[in-house]
Amino acid sequence: MKKGEIILSAVCLAFFSYMFYEALELRGVGRFGEVGSGFWPLLSLGVTTILSLVWLVKNLRQYAKEKGGVAEPPPTPETVAAAWHRRRKIALCSVCLLIYIIIIPWIGFILSTILFVLTFVIALEEKRIWVLIISPPMITIVIVAVFAKFITMPLPRGVGVFAEFSRFFY
Amino acid sequence: MVELYWNAFATVLLPQNILAICLGGLWGLLAGALPGISTSMGVVLLLSFTYSLSPITAFCMLCAAYCGGITGGSITSILFGIPGEPSAIPTTIEGYALAKQGRAAYALWLFIICSIGGGIFSVLVMMVATPVMANFALRFGPPEFFALVILGLSVVSSLSGGSVLKGFLACFFGLFLATVGTDGITGGERFTFGTTILLGGINFVTAMVGLLAVSEILAEAEEPFQEYKSSVRYKGLRDELPKLSDYTKHWFLLLRSSVLGTIVGSLPGGGATIASFLAYGDACRSTKHPEKIGKGSEEGLMAAETANNAGTGGSMTILLALGLPGSNTTAMLIAAFMIHGMQPGPMLYASRPDIIYGIFVAMLMSNVFLLFLTIMSIKLFLQLNRLPYTAFSAAIMILCVVGAFGLNNSMDDLYIMFAFGIIGYVMRKYKIPIAPVVLGLVLGDLAELSLRRSLLLSLGDPMILISRPISLILLSGAAVSVLWPLFKKPTMLKDTENT
Repeated sequence: MKKGEIILSAVCLAFFSYMFYEALELRGVGRFGEVGSGFWPLLSLGVTTILSLVWLVKNLRQYAKEKGGVAEPPPTPETVAAAWHRRRKIALCSVCLLIYIIIIPWIGFILSTILFVLTFVIALEEKRIWVLIISPPMITIVIVAVFAKFITMPLPRGVGVFAEFSRFFY
Repeated sequence: MVELYWNAFATVLLPQNILAICLGGLWGLLAGALPGISTSMGVVLLLSFTYSLSPITAFCMLCAAYCGGITGGSITSILFGIPGEPSAIPTTIEGYALAKQGRAAYALWLFIICSIGGGIFSVLVMMVATPVMANFALRFGPPEFFALVILGLSVVSSLSGGSVLKGFLACFFGLFLATVGTDGITGGERFTFGTTILLGGINFVTAMVGLLAVSEILAEAEEPFQEYKSSVRYKGLRDELPKLSDYTKHWFLLLRSSVLGTIVGSLPGGGATIASFLAYGDACRSTKHPEKIGKGSEEGLMAAETANNAGTGGSMTILLALGLPGSNTTAMLIAAFMIHGMQPGPMLYASRPDIIYGIFVAMLMSNVFLLFLTIMSIKLFLQLNRLPYTAFSAAIMILCVVGAFGLNNSMDDLYIMFAFGIIGYVMRKYKIPIAPVVLGLVLGDLAELSLRRSLLLSLGDPMILISRPISLILLSGAAVSVLWPLFKKPTMLKDTENT
């Protein structure tokens, strides 16, 4: 039993309990004689809260059972390093995506996409120089050509000088 | 009806629609063939291309991608021994074994003809069954619709693999997400916390892009990219052409697998994977050459391939006739309907038969075109090992961003997509099934409105849900599907595991 699963079930229980508490305020919203706005959320959140509790209890019992049994061998330094490496990679990829989403409205789609592709492939540990050089402009050109020119989707242009730059292309 | 088919053929065979089928089919084949991309993810990403297309062109593209995704999963199975889709695992066992014996072309021919044959069979069943079911469903009132949604959700949650507890938790989480935003009946705000981002509710296209696509890229990024290396000898499909008798001598097996695939595909939560495993198990039991099983059995390969493609027509029948998605991919097709201002189900069949018959013909033509597209693209798939996966992942991530943004041209949707991407990644990590969340989110609104309308009709008496025969039967089915896994593992899954 991973400790992570115990934590996740506890987080679920806390979150759904809080949302259930919030849903209590929805009771009585609606016209007289009708089922109000709060009925369905209370029903679904009530069940999710109970299921989260059952999941947490099940996880804790399994954890206690495993702890009482034969002790698992401690993880080797290589396993710990590999797990840490994986987590760092995922964190980097997620941060790249989040920053990309934040900067798109400011610097426009073209520049932000070029920067995103470059940083994302580096986060994925790409070492080939030709991929690092060619993929950012190539992917951006294809996406802009298809979505801005062919489908005429209004992609974000950015502000100020970046907007002027974007207007050269779409 | 003849006139409807005539018009549908005339529309689908327009050049732009044929182009849409070819592009969608190729994209589906690629999505199915690449282990990092699932069919549902392929359809999610394609959705952003269809915003500005006419409804029928959009459905031509999406139906072709759906059929192509299921077909494409087997190409890499045979040539590389890597299943592109979970439904292609039996094909990997038998097809790759045949390929290693120097019979890759023969295995590919068996796979192509059986896949397309299974697909066409299920489309023909769909053409017959959808009008019958839709006409029957026109009698449904709010209690029946509520019961139908509950049945669909309960079956998906209990059959979605892994823990049943996690399946139901995911399902109710999806139902809760569907309540966020403005209440459709009273107009009151729910769980918006004073922000405008959530006022319109959680758009399920945005949520699905996050849950299905972003999370999958993150999960794939965690592991080192797998390098494709084929150890089989393959020069071209002309290497070894099968004889007609290779198919005809197994006609009964192919028929059984087609029927099985269509039926399993039509069950919510059934899908191509269970269909292909069941058909493979059936072929293993009935074969006269049990010594060949696992070592290149033609029968195992043909049965699995026929059944997994036959599942597409079954899933589409339930979607078009009842508005019930049985899988992530058909849930995405509901999103496509909604983007074009339609809600699939019996009312759509009555009000827009042109669309329904157009989809029938689009599915049929998709299978026909896929026959040629698959034959032509096999050489292309042999070059997959040259693809820079890192750049490909970045491109998919950008498609996710553009798809989520393009729906409402709103930056807020991108933050919602990101949040769901992280939620989806955590769910994958802890083996919580994603399909029940998606279906809960898609069907939650319909379930709530149907329940509240039912209670309005009965002046608050919940007995209305069990006093009507259809609703009672459907709710009993839901109760069985909830209680069954608690006492016994479903036979279907057991069979699958044994296989």
